[in-house]
Amino acid sequence: MPATMGMASNLFGRVARHLSAFENPSSQRILPLLRNTTPSHCRAYTQAQRPQCGQSMAASRSSFSTTAFRSRAKTMGQLRQRNSTGPFSWKAALLFVLTGAGMMLYFRVEKARLERKRIAEMSKGVGRPKVGGPFVLKDLDGKEFTAEDLKGKYSFVYFGFTHCPDICPDELDKMAAIIEKVKETTKDDKIFMPVFITCDPARDTPAVLRAYLQEFHPGIVGLTGTYDQVKNVCRQYRVYFSTPRDVKPGEDYLVDHSIYFYLMDPDNDFVECIGRQDTPESASKVILEHINDWKREGKPLKTE
Amino acid sequence: MGWLPWSGSPSPDKASDGGRIAPDRSSRARCWEGRDLFFSCLDRNNIVDSVKDDKEARRKCGKEVEEFEAACSQTWVKYFKEKRVMEYNRDKTIERIKKEDAAKVSELKSQGWNSK
Repeated sequence: MPATMGMASNLFGRVARHLSAFENPSSQRILPLLRNTTPSHCRAYTQAQRPQCGQSMAASRSSFSTTAFRSRAKTMGQLRQRNSTGPFSWKAALLFVLTGAGMMLYFRVEKARLERKRIAEMSKGVGRPKVGGPFVLKDLDGKEFTAEDLKGKYSFVYFGFTHCPDICPDELDKMAAIIEKVKETTKDDKIFMPVFITCDPARDTPAVLRAYLQEFHPGIVGLTGTYDQVKNVCRQYRVYFSTPRDVKPGEDYLVDHSIYFYLMDPDNDFVECIGRQDTPESASKVILEHINDWKREGKPLKTE
Repeated sequence: MGWLPWSGSPSPDKASDGGRIAPDRSSRARCWEGRDLFFSCLDRNNIVDSVKDDKEARRKCGKEVEEFEAACSQTWVKYFKEKRVMEYNRDKTIERIKKEDAAKVSELKSQGWNSK
């Protein structure tokens, strides 16, 4: 909280500086104008009125300082005018409103950021429910792929199977839209890694997965493995796993699976779930906010 | 082709590495289209459960059900038919809860309760 207050006062100072910068040119513009007009103007008045003119000229020369003005205010008109407005002027009002609006905006942004941070750090530390963990699978080239390979990037993990009737295809289309949106905004396709893990390794071999994922987005990393490897990764991510172990060749079946996307941070800690109710817009907004927070805190990202 | 209903046990396409090739985007679209046509026929005839009322459904929507079952695998057909019943019951439950809520609120309001 002290850090927040410090930043707030910093912001206040910035607003005040901004205002004074805004003020100066206008007073400089007015002064020469007064200098030119008042003398010739004064000449037309009688002797008794002359000092007054000189006075107002002096007042205007002292660059509108109210203290100097007060000491020189002699006429009733000047006093009355000052009393009617008091210390309040349009400048003070503007400063007040701008500062207030600035602070409000700042606190709202900061509050949202802290809330995201709280969510992101919920799965770090001790005694937290753990989503995600070590696993060993293989990618579409048959190379070993472990949880370590997810580190250094934000990963977006989805579990499914290629013989899925309607939910997975919908969700994968959404995934493709999210990938494009994130890539477009970050101008970087290295920091965000979408991953599809099959729950149905018996049917979903690398060749099948490759052809299937290609239809949605070429950037999706497909992962498969043995029955036990897949069962383990499902357990790590708390995904209900119901795939039958011994499938007769040619047997057709469906697999129950989680319908959530799991957003994992570059430490491979769980950040947030993206569900059926999210649109590509709302999902990519959440993801981009977390990526920006991570970048702003200067934490490392793998960029190769 | 594995999605023909009369072939008994389907013999699905094998991938080069022994996997089983899943329906692609266009065959999924064909299946969904068949499903939507069949279900709109069921709607017209006030049939919800086409598994339980299979005979009735086949009599009223014979052409549609045939096309649907030809376009989708058997598990998908079963899944979609069951899902239709599930969604119908879900919507009915939501409707009932909403109605009960509205009745409760109007009852409380008549007793002078204010929601604010």
